Amino acid sequence: MLPIRSFRCLVLAFFLLTFPAAAMADAPTDSLKASIDEVLTLLKDPAYQDPSKKAALREKLIGAIKSVFNAEELSRRALGQNWKNFTPEQQKRFTEAFTTLLQNTYLDKIESYTDEAVNYLGEQPIGEGKVEVKTTIVHQGKDIPLTYRMIDKGSWKVYDVVIEGVSMVQNYRQQFADVLMRESPDALIDKILKKS
Amino acid sequence: MSKRRFQHIIGFFLILLFISTSGCSVKNQATKDFMEGGANAQTGATQPAPQAAPLDQAVVDNAPDDDEYDAPLETIPDPLYGWNHFWYRFNDLFYMGLMRPFAIGYKTVMPEPVRTGLKNAYDNFIFPIRFVNCLLQLKPAGAAREFGRFMINSTFGLGGFFDLAKSDPNLQPGDEDFGQTLAYYGMGDGFYIVWPFIGPSSLRDSFGLVGDAAANPLTYIFGLWGMYGEDNPWYWSYVIRGADIFNRLPDKIDNLETLKKSAIDPYASLRDAYIQYRRNAIKN
Repeated sequence: MLPIRSFRCLVLAFFLLTFPAAAMADAPTDSLKASIDEVLTLLKDPAYQDPSKKAALREKLIGAIKSVFNAEELSRRALGQNWKNFTPEQQKRFTEAFTTLLQNTYLDKIESYTDEAVNYLGEQPIGEGKVEVKTTIVHQGKDIPLTYRMIDKGSWKVYDVVIEGVSMVQNYRQQFADVLMRESPDALIDKILKKS
Repeated sequence: MSKRRFQHIIGFFLILLFISTSGCSVKNQATKDFMEGGANAQTGATQPAPQAAPLDQAVVDNAPDDDEYDAPLETIPDPLYGWNHFWYRFNDLFYMGLMRPFAIGYKTVMPEPVRTGLKNAYDNFIFPIRFVNCLLQLKPAGAAREFGRFMINSTFGLGGFFDLAKSDPNLQPGDEDFGQTLAYYGMGDGFYIVWPFIGPSSLRDSFGLVGDAAANPLTYIFGLWGMYGEDNPWYWSYVIRGADIFNRLPDKIDNLETLKKSAIDPYASLRDAYIQYRRNAIKN
C-alpha cells in the first residue's frame, strides 16, 4: 500500500514540476463557483434592488456570467455538423444572436430568483479537457439538478448546461437542425434575432 | 375481495404491457447514450492540457467530430404530428390563456412555503407508486430509501408536509414510475404522443401513466374498487388530484413560459426536452 502511494506522490510531483501551467489552472468548480457567487451577490445587493437599477444590474450580471461561459463553444455545439456550413461571418452573427437570445430568456429567470442556494456535488471528466460539474439549486423547496459542462480553454469555460437531464445545447441543436433542413443559415439567424 | 380484484387488474396490465414490450426492445438498445464516448477519458486526466498551443479560430472550426454533440441526435418518432400539434396548441391555449390568471392569482394569495408543503404532502401520499416501481426495477436500496422517507416525513414531517428526510444525503427524493419500469424491462419509447391536459408523453409512458394511476393510493382508497365499497366518496380521488395539479400550476406555467420564450420552435423544444428528461430518469 505504502510504496504505491509514495509512487503516486512522485508522479504527482513530477507533473507539478513539469507542467506548472496545467497545475496552476483553476479547477473547473472554482471558476464556476466564483462566477455563480458573483451572480448571487449581485442579486442580493441592496444597491440593485430598485427597479430603476434593472438595466445596471443586468449589465453586471452579463459581465459575471460572460467570464465563465464560452459563447462560441456553446454556439458551435448548438449547430453541430451544421457549423461547418456557415461562413465565418455567419458564425459570428449566429454566435451573437444566439448569445443575446440566451441572455434575454435566462436572465429574466435568474433575476426572479431570490434566496436560491447552490450546492456543488463534485466534478467528473467527460472527455479530454472536458468536465461535468454537478450542482443542485434549491428553488422553492425543491432541489433542481443542474450540471455544467466545461471545457479547458486555458481557463475553464461552460459550454452547456444540463437541467434535470435536459441538455440546453442538445435541445437547441434539434431545433436548429430542423430549421436548417428547410432554410438557409441567414434565415435561421433572422429567426433567432426576431425572438430575442 | 376488492383487494384481490385490484391485484387481478394490476396483473392484467402487467401482462398486457409485457406483451407489448417485446416488439420495441430492439429500438431501445439502438439508442446510444451520448455520454458514453466520454467514459474512457478518466484515465487521461493527468495528461498535460494542450494549452501550450494557442487555440485559434481555425482549430476550432476544423475540430474533429469527436465530441458528444456531433453524434446523431437522439430523437423520438412523431408519426402523430398532426394530432400532437393540435393538442400541443390546445394545451398551450388552456394553460397559458385560460389558467394563467388563476395560477398567478393563486401564487399571489398562497405563500410559497404552503405551496411547497402541499406538493410535499401529495408526493409523500403517492409514495406507493415509487416504492412499487423500485421493487419492480429490482432496486432494493431505492425501495428502502422511499420507505424510510415515507416513515420519517409522514410522522415528524407532519403527514409529509415537511420533507425532513431530504436533509439526509441518503434519503433524497426519488422519481421511479411505471414508465421507467417498462423501460427497465426493455420497452422502447414507441413514439411521441401529446395528451390533452397531460401534455407530452410517449407510447410507453402512456402505459406507464395507467400503471401509476393504478398504484396511486387515491385509486384504491376512493376509486371504483375502493375500500369503501358501494357508497365510497369516489369524487375525493378527483378533488385531491385536481387540487394537486392546481397547486403546481404556477410552476408549470413558469416553465412553459421560459420554454416558449427561449425556443425557436417551442413544439420541437418541448418534445426534445421531454425525451431527454425521460431518458435521464430511466438511466438513474
